[in-house]
Amino acid sequence: MIDNLLLGLETAVTPENLLFCLLGVVLGTIIGVLPGLGSATGVAILLPVTLTLDPISALIMLAGIYYGSQYGASTSSILISTPGDSSSVVLTLDGYQMARNGRAGAALAIAALSSFLAAILSLIGLIALAQPIARWALNFGPPENLAIIVLGLATIVSFAGENMLRGITMAAVGLLISMIGVASGFTTARFTFGSVNLLGGLEFVAVMIGIFAVGEVLHQIRRGGEHPIRARFRDLLVTREELGRSVAPALRGTGLGFVMGVLPGAGATLATFMSYGVEKQVSKFRHLIGKGAPEGVAGPEASNNAAANASFIPTLTLGIPGSGTTAVLLGAFIVFGLQPGPLLFEQQPDLVWGLLVSFFFGNLILLVLNLPLAPVFAQVLRIPYSYLYPMVLFIAVVGAFALGNNTFTIWVVFVAGLLGYFMKRFDFPAAPLVLGLVLGPLLERALVQTSALGGGSLLIIFERPLSAVLMVAALLALAAPFVSAVLRRYRRTNRSRIDT
Amino acid sequence: MPDTEQAPTRHRPATADVVGTLVLAGVGVYATVAGLGYGFTGDDGRVGPGFLPVVTGAFIAGASLLELARMFLARSPAASSYMASVEHVEEDARAAIQQAHPDDERPAPGGRNAAGEELDTFGRTHSQRNWAVLQIFGILLVAILLIPVLGLLLSMSLMTFTIFVAVEGKRWLTALLATAGAFAFFYVFFAQILGIPLPTGMLGIV
Repeated sequence: MIDNLLLGLETAVTPENLLFCLLGVVLGTIIGVLPGLGSATGVAILLPVTLTLDPISALIMLAGIYYGSQYGASTSSILISTPGDSSSVVLTLDGYQMARNGRAGAALAIAALSSFLAAILSLIGLIALAQPIARWALNFGPPENLAIIVLGLATIVSFAGENMLRGITMAAVGLLISMIGVASGFTTARFTFGSVNLLGGLEFVAVMIGIFAVGEVLHQIRRGGEHPIRARFRDLLVTREELGRSVAPALRGTGLGFVMGVLPGAGATLATFMSYGVEKQVSKFRHLIGKGAPEGVAGPEASNNAAANASFIPTLTLGIPGSGTTAVLLGAFIVFGLQPGPLLFEQQPDLVWGLLVSFFFGNLILLVLNLPLAPVFAQVLRIPYSYLYPMVLFIAVVGAFALGNNTFTIWVVFVAGLLGYFMKRFDFPAAPLVLGLVLGPLLERALVQTSALGGGSLLIIFERPLSAVLMVAALLALAAPFVSAVLRRYRRTNRSRIDT
Repeated sequence: MPDTEQAPTRHRPATADVVGTLVLAGVGVYATVAGLGYGFTGDDGRVGPGFLPVVTGAFIAGASLLELARMFLARSPAASSYMASVEHVEEDARAAIQQAHPDDERPAPGGRNAAGEELDTFGRTHSQRNWAVLQIFGILLVAILLIPVLGLLLSMSLMTFTIFVAVEGKRWLTALLATAGAFAFFYVFFAQILGIPLPTGMLGIV
């Protein structure tokens, strides 16, 4: 482990990589602050910009955008009650109330400190767990790979939003889009409608740019916006009492977020809500939560950051993205000719460990930047959105061209943008679609190999203990929300019967 | 205490939701039929190129029909998910906020127009926002169609300028300066620094 960390340190502390780390976290913070531009959008539109960089520098910068935007998203939640990501929704409750009570700066500072604490603790967990999981996954055969992909899809659809059926449907649509072109291992062209451009399949980063950048940005126009509450430098001073009340919630939030984030699925949003719920149950000041209490900021913000870091565990060790943004990052790995998974730790240790070590530096830079400069970043909220979104469309289109050096990718962005806009408008979650898109080729390969191993039968998946356990876990992940809904309804009926 | 809660009434789905779900069901059926044409299994009984399209297509069709049934038959719009287990958290918090600020009514960010409609920060009403989205998609479409003629950067600059003037109502000079800035930035960054050969179109300028 120490050797790996030293190797990572050697890679991460080169002036070039430190510079890209700084650039990534600053850009990430700005993107996070801007409502309507979440981390997935930021990584998707800036990915083409990194194409000429060394892969490790590019990935350090893109990952920096991801966790930098987690810090930035708290600013828009606290100051304008508009979350950049679904995982920042909870912060609009007590964070915004603190701002209204004249404690905007303190809320921003508590959010930054909790984020930093959670980031460092979860990074220790990430580094401790990544290598053993990768080693364990090296023993996987096709049935286990197939089962883990099914588990990944099952968990992301069950965490994706308020309607699991829509989540499942979107994952299936993502799989379907991934099948366009000549199937790997076959010679049949599928869903190409006679177009030569479609034979090679769709450039999935272009699909993501369309869904996240074009779709999200235009959806934001339809929603309108809010004026920010002003945060001043002198308000950033957190009182001793506020700080003392924030430590335990931040630690609880970190633990909760880490556990939820490790699951291959979008667990960060659920983790933040659970953390808020836990604070309402256990905090000594629970009667103040909802009225602008630091506990309601520290807990959810810590769980959000811990989940974001923990989501790299399934992404890097198994090649299964832990969230929508890590799915886009996984796309970045593939663009650079790298396949995340257990073999990556064997074949590219300097890249993996360099990336992980860079997280420490990135979070340190973020703390240094965010504590004194939060009001400066908050000024970004004053940039009129009417100037911003045409630029986002501009960079999305030019970036898409740069990806494939052909105008066909621009059409992919346009169509995916339409799809993304209507998905947002009608409340269809994007994360399952992106996961389906990324996992489609892997799923099909595992299916073909498993079927070959089983002599044409897929039942072999239930004959091997590990794959059978994983499949049962996938079924449980899908069934649990329905079972809990039935139980809740039963309890409610029972209670009303007792009342009468 | 007697139970005063009444059974929730059936939720009437929006037409757009129904149409969208029907389109999805259609996509599912198409994928299933096309998948069968690609070959569900190979000669040796192994998974064929049509296996995954058939399974996925059938799944989308089935799930869409279930969703339609849920839309029409469910007594409330909520559905089962892990998020449902924490839905009370936000409700409770909103209730607490309401208790702390009983007279709380957030003003419309952009005020109200003469007809009393709420305006957003862009100064647009709800229907104007919908129209703006349609306009932007239209302008983007035309700009992409113009790439073979004007080239990539000029088409996108024209798109930016048109959005500024036609959608956002900016002054010509302001729009021109902002567009020129964007053009210069993207030209220097993509064409000069990254060295990407951007299409120059029939005009062949940049």
